Amino acid sequence: MLAMNSTLLVGPSDWDAVRMPKAEFVARAAAFWRDNPPASGTIVYGDRVNHAELAYLTNFTPKLEAALALIPRDGAPQLLVGGGVNMLPAARPLTFVEDLRPLRNVGSTVAKWSHEQGGGTPVLIGGGFMPYALHQEIAAALSGEMDDKTAELRRLMGRKRARELAAQRETCAALDAAVAAMRAAQGSGADVTAAVLAGEQAANRRGAQEVRTLFSLDGGRTLRPFDTLVERAVDPLQVYVAVRKLGYWAEGFAVLTASTHPCARRAHAVLRPAVARMQAGEHCAELARSIAQEGLPLHPIAAEVVGNAIGLALEEHPVISTGCDNAIEPGGVYSLRVGLSNPRGHAIVSAMVAVHDWGNEVLWFSPEPAR
Amino acid sequence: MTFDERLAAIRAGMIGHGLDLIVAVHDGAHFIETPNPVFVLSGFKSLGPTAFVLPRDGEASLIVTPAWDAERATDCCPKLRVVAADDVVDALEGTCSRHLSRSGKIGLAGLAATRWDIAGRLAQMLPQASAADDIVFDAAAAKTVEEIAHAREATRIAELGYARLIEIARPGMSEDALAAELRWYTKTLGAEDNFLLLCAGPRNAAVAPSNGRVMQHGDILVAEITPSYRGQLAQICRTATLGPADAELKHKYGLLVRAMNAGIAAARPGVPMASVCSAINTVLETEGYGEYCHPPHIRRRGHGLGFGSIRPGDVSLDNDTLLAEGMVFMIHPNQHLPETGYLLCGEPVLLTARGAEPLTKQRSALFEIGL
Repeated sequence: MLAMNSTLLVGPSDWDAVRMPKAEFVARAAAFWRDNPPASGTIVYGDRVNHAELAYLTNFTPKLEAALALIPRDGAPQLLVGGGVNMLPAARPLTFVEDLRPLRNVGSTVAKWSHEQGGGTPVLIGGGFMPYALHQEIAAALSGEMDDKTAELRRLMGRKRARELAAQRETCAALDAAVAAMRAAQGSGADVTAAVLAGEQAANRRGAQEVRTLFSLDGGRTLRPFDTLVERAVDPLQVYVAVRKLGYWAEGFAVLTASTHPCARRAHAVLRPAVARMQAGEHCAELARSIAQEGLPLHPIAAEVVGNAIGLALEEHPVISTGCDNAIEPGGVYSLRVGLSNPRGHAIVSAMVAVHDWGNEVLWFSPEPAR
Repeated sequence: MTFDERLAAIRAGMIGHGLDLIVAVHDGAHFIETPNPVFVLSGFKSLGPTAFVLPRDGEASLIVTPAWDAERATDCCPKLRVVAADDVVDALEGTCSRHLSRSGKIGLAGLAATRWDIAGRLAQMLPQASAADDIVFDAAAAKTVEEIAHAREATRIAELGYARLIEIARPGMSEDALAAELRWYTKTLGAEDNFLLLCAGPRNAAVAPSNGRVMQHGDILVAEITPSYRGQLAQICRTATLGPADAELKHKYGLLVRAMNAGIAAARPGVPMASVCSAINTVLETEGYGEYCHPPHIRRRGHGLGFGSIRPGDVSLDNDTLLAEGMVFMIHPNQHLPETGYLLCGEPVLLTARGAEPLTKQRSALFEIGL
């Protein structure tokens, strides 16, 4: 779900060698090389907004300027960090990669590195996120079209390894703390800003790296980001919260209200069986149709897309909609939402679900309003 | 200047360059160093990729993604035709053809910084378009009355943020925890974002994004606190010590403050920005720090403040931009000295007929946090 990104990332992003040992990243890269035998190496781009692939292979979160990882099939990776040589000491704790250099003269650096990979062709990951000028520079340095393998890596990222799942469980716990804090604040009469920020603070205190929120001032009909103080209380308060911790995202929608909320109850009633259907092999299109076929008026925000895989990126492949050809996969973690909208009310609720070979595990479920 | 006057100036620029249409694009990744032409033209800070289509005469269009955010755009920009879209480039194709025959001349603004998966398609769609960045951003070199008011409020928030920093910063606290708390705090005051660079150490090489380093007694804490209020950034650059500062540090910091004040005094309408930099450098050169007034030790002595336009650009020796009333920018000596490491000292200023008016109530002073 798209929400406002920040101009600079703050929040703990240091590499934790116990939680995610170097061997984990080596194994991830090895899986990529197995799937891409002709590649001599990979050039991986990441920035503050889009860095899931870079983090997957290097743990590095570019907090300020962009970074480029040069990862050979054989040998040690390099990480080119934006912002100049004086930024390198601050960047060092964020990754296991030891060879850190400033991101400058990108074209010639990439050309030289590519040549050093024994004549093969490196592939590109994250190329779509690069600024136009940088993409042109690298394309010129590599003399033509670059083979972008972002989608291939994302397929690998879709199956969460054990340590990743553990991280995502912790993130869901932080999400739960955030929503609980918002609920408590809203329930005690706090204004919208105070309620939303109570949640953000709760997530921060649980070690969140990033918190993004949306909220509604019109009973859930529309959502908006924080752009100015809202010093009035609202009930019901529809919220969206996304929390990133240990690199992994969790997101949730909730309706916060002291009253009964028939629309939210109905949405929960639709969400529960939809979550139960989230089993390995279930077709995403069928899952989306099962929500639509309840015959209830769908909320515009959750009408076409009812969910997606989630992990190091807030939105990973596949996106769950009636037009999706994919199936739910074992090892995947998903966000699933149900949104209803009618003249009497609006509600979007959601769940975070991990899918295993043996069934599924609900990592987080939107709290239900009072009965 | 008013917003309407700025738009009229941009349209005059279009006539001067023979353009029938300006297309401005931004990918939704808001960054302090990247000017946003869509924000300049509309005042709308987007969640996702957006575009603005400005014909020489007639109604302008704002293309907004995701589609569900269009209503917020309409509320923000009631005079514009708002187009809700799922894909900004697809929507642009329809909108441009509405305004223009095949022979119309188009100017493009924002392309170089926009991410490749949008910019590449746009460049293919409009291969004959010329760069129009200067037309848009030159007209936005002076801030509007509203932007100046927002800069004042952002400055007020920055100063309160600094007061909070010196209240809570303590040995044993990590840089990340301090930065997260401070960022949250400025949000409670109304800042929707904060470019918050903060780090501490016995001797800093630069100011850098925070990491997990635990602050120690005797550390020098440097911070660029840069809240955004309704999309307008303002920044203060501050230095504090965890515990008493030694005499040498106090003396050197005093030197920086004198350098800053010389820069502020030099900033007047009609003078080139380079002379502001030169005035700062002269104070340091007189004390024998000439070598440290140039790269690699220092890149610039200040900069513009977005998120819209970042004109008048860097406070640097190679910037010949003539200063004019209404410009808002940073004057910050921020200097590495061999005896102390990197120290921060800087104010946001508004250029008036009388010269540079710092927006802060209290100018930089070295603060010793009592422990």
